Amino acid sequence: MVDQLPNLGREKVMLETLGLESMDDLFSDIPETVRMNDELPLPAPQTEEEIIADARRLLGANVALGDRVSFLGAGLNRNYVPASVFQLVTRGEFLTSYTPYQPEVSQGMLQAMWEFQTLISELVGLEVSNLSVYDASTAAAEALTCSIRIHNKKATQKDTVYISELVPPARVSVIENYSQGGGVVIKTIKHNEDGTLNLESLAEAAGSCGVYVEQPNPLGILDGGLSKVKEIIGQNTAFIVGVSPVSLGLVEAPGNYGADIVVGEGQSLGSPITYGGPLYGIFACSKNYLRQMPGRIVGKSIDVDGNEAFCLTLSTREQHIRRHRATSNICTNETLIALMGAMHMSLLGPEGLKLLAQRNMAACQLAKEKIVKIPGISLPHESGYHYNEFAIELPGSASDCLEYLDSRGVIGGLDLSNWYPDKTNWMLVSVSDQTTSNDIEMLCARISIWCESETKGVKA
Amino acid sequence: MSHLFEHYGAEGQGYSQPNPIASIDSIRLPEGMQRQKPPRWPRLSEPEMVRHYTWLSSRNFGIDTGFYPLGSCTMKHNPRINEVIAQLPGIADIHPLQPDHHVQGTLAIFYEMQDMLAICAGMDAVTLQPVAGAQGEFTAIRCVQEYFRKRGETQRTKVIVPDSAHGTNPASAAMCGFEIIEIPSKDDGRIDLDALRAVVGEDTAAMMITNPNTLGLFEAEIAQASEIVHSVGGQMYYDGANFNAILGRTSPGLMGFDAVHYNLHKTFSQPHGGGGPGSGPIGVKSHLAEFLPGPVVSRREVEENDKVTVINDKWWYHWETPENSIGKVQQWHGNSGAVIRCWAYYRRYGRELKTMSEHAVLNANYLRRRIMDIAEEQGVLDLFCDGTPVDVVKHEFTISMAPLKEKNGAGAMDIAKGLLDQGYMAPTVYFPLVVPECMMVEPTETESKDTLDKFAEKFVEVIQMDPEVLHEAPITTKVRRVDEVYAARNLTLSYPFDDE
Repeated sequence: MVDQLPNLGREKVMLETLGLESMDDLFSDIPETVRMNDELPLPAPQTEEEIIADARRLLGANVALGDRVSFLGAGLNRNYVPASVFQLVTRGEFLTSYTPYQPEVSQGMLQAMWEFQTLISELVGLEVSNLSVYDASTAAAEALTCSIRIHNKKATQKDTVYISELVPPARVSVIENYSQGGGVVIKTIKHNEDGTLNLESLAEAAGSCGVYVEQPNPLGILDGGLSKVKEIIGQNTAFIVGVSPVSLGLVEAPGNYGADIVVGEGQSLGSPITYGGPLYGIFACSKNYLRQMPGRIVGKSIDVDGNEAFCLTLSTREQHIRRHRATSNICTNETLIALMGAMHMSLLGPEGLKLLAQRNMAACQLAKEKIVKIPGISLPHESGYHYNEFAIELPGSASDCLEYLDSRGVIGGLDLSNWYPDKTNWMLVSVSDQTTSNDIEMLCARISIWCESETKGVKA
Repeated sequence: MSHLFEHYGAEGQGYSQPNPIASIDSIRLPEGMQRQKPPRWPRLSEPEMVRHYTWLSSRNFGIDTGFYPLGSCTMKHNPRINEVIAQLPGIADIHPLQPDHHVQGTLAIFYEMQDMLAICAGMDAVTLQPVAGAQGEFTAIRCVQEYFRKRGETQRTKVIVPDSAHGTNPASAAMCGFEIIEIPSKDDGRIDLDALRAVVGEDTAAMMITNPNTLGLFEAEIAQASEIVHSVGGQMYYDGANFNAILGRTSPGLMGFDAVHYNLHKTFSQPHGGGGPGSGPIGVKSHLAEFLPGPVVSRREVEENDKVTVINDKWWYHWETPENSIGKVQQWHGNSGAVIRCWAYYRRYGRELKTMSEHAVLNANYLRRRIMDIAEEQGVLDLFCDGTPVDVVKHEFTISMAPLKEKNGAGAMDIAKGLLDQGYMAPTVYFPLVVPECMMVEPTETESKDTLDKFAEKFVEVIQMDPEVLHEAPITTKVRRVDEVYAARNLTLSYPFDDE
């Protein structure tokens, strides 16, 4: 029997208070024509012990990244979340609270989110941050629709935004779904052979509402050319940069080279990968964009005694007030995961962030150096600066190589033909602060064997 | 007060990290790309960090702290085993791009969830991808939009919502590009079929409605409403915010709906975490299934070459993208961690989910009656009025404080703040808009009779308090009434550093 119901066994006395005889009487207002008369065709209830046994068996059948040597990332990279973060985030006062509609009894989460806004704002170099959207893809989509609301009046390319041609198809798909309602035209900006942004192609975006590029880009390339973007597209086109937040320990904050909106996947700060969710999308902007920003924002205020107090603010942008004229339909966001991020950031400090970025980048550099030495493998963007990911070109199909690696206990990376159909021999290798030199050696050893047999035309 | 940023500049490092695995000389960026000025982040040692966040948590109210009757939010107990399960490496440490044979366990759970949700709502197909209720609404309306585009019915540009709908309904439909037609409710808060008939037509794409509605009333004429909308070729969309009230008793499918979203964080107890994460799967009838965002989990019988695991006794699970999918609404597979927690919750009830809903409805009706009875005993029934004058409500009920406001100036917000002083979370206030000075109360099934009895007594006590005292409330909370106008006029959205 279900153990979550304190009033089991008390139904009779409660029904008596109501002057009713049975539970059925509570549902007498449901017309017979729409009543469900049969039992739900579902299994019997389970106890906690039985549920966790089933969970362990089912989830234990999965291959966890930690069980293997893994080079799969593509925007979600293995990280370490300090134990104290997990411990604190499950405190019931945080975990079981709702959106802080009653500020007097929600100061804890409100202050934590105001601090989160400050941490993000400092990290990306922009004045304002909200307290998260769903993930990097919805953040990018919301940023682009926001840019239309801000700039469409003055735009010479009305209802038009530009995105980098390298943005992965799943993210493009989210952007398309979010923007098609407004009849938005999405055009692409080309990249050069070396993977950097083609600034001539970018020039076509001037006069549009917004430009979305990523730093590092989806192939892991850090692009110095981004510092010229704002000058090229001009004041009336929003410059939106998608970031990998930890990289900003080393790489210049986009707010300092002209970005108007910075978005990104917060996961590397404070959150496990969890099969792709829950994550948290970072969304920060300059003051000019504030009133068209989606999502919740916390402001510092005072209470009636003049003491410092926090509350949600600028709610008139939001759906519960503005309804169909709201800046977004977002209501529930990813607050608790953002809280994990804030906790992680407060432990890292500026030096810790820099070290973490160095660890990620050094691992990437080491992997690049080792892999490029393997006969048969080349790096399409060898000269570039890479963070977390880099593409390699194999002597045969990436999907075959990945299958071979999988059979030898290595999760190899991403077959890039999933993103760019003509790149059948390209593989995206991802490393992170969790990658060891042993991992890299193991990958190289296995790939070498596969490359050798591939060049000789025999199956490894 | 303690500020995180007061620790800025403190000596020492928060927590130690291993050194980089290669020389940092090898990763020197050109001058122009290097970060010039580090973020002004604080730098806390673990003891300081733990104390800061524990202190913050002591200034926050959750279900674990006390009764949380926040109407429309279904704040039920969150079983802790679900948290333990969500941290298992088989979910926390898996990547959405791993091949199917690495994730058979997760796919089996997802398949079970898709199946269970379809059964409960009387739908034919489910996707778990939307990550919040509002995103579920958006996703379902996008599917409806593509359905009409495929049929060439592009003249269907309007979506109808009742004036009592959640704000996300019109906002989600507007994001898809639809024009919103709002129709008034009848005086008793229920849907006005004549008003509906007057607005439907060839331009109707869909109607969005929740049942029971936001007043806690079951819309008895829902089948007729479906018929009216269907008769002009429109689609019926069910907002699952109030699904907790009807599980196993009726279903959106039986009521004639074509699409539905589920708020897993409400009905299936994903903790709300102060504002998220949520999870908002959608279910649809077969004619909309080909448009669902992809991929969804499918299964077939195990074949000889499958890399079977201990769980593949009969079935092989795999991702599959529906034929005319609208694409993606989140980059990966949705809030998988939330889905796993809700699976653990569902397993606790199984076929007895009906009992869960029965107790939610029992508790709501019991609390409503206790408030009325106590007010009657004390001769103060005239201080408020029932927002929903019916025999039985469903999972929630509304009370209008308009009479009290008229009498002595104490309104719904004052009563809400007064309840905070009694150690309760306040009910939802000023929603739905159709009830003046509204308080919307949803106790959920996980509150004991004793809690409900005590709350009823306190509620009737609070409404009789001196209005001057109520205007001053709360006085026992960590801060007193917060000035929201001040916050909006003096925007301080981040820590003001001294050097600015």
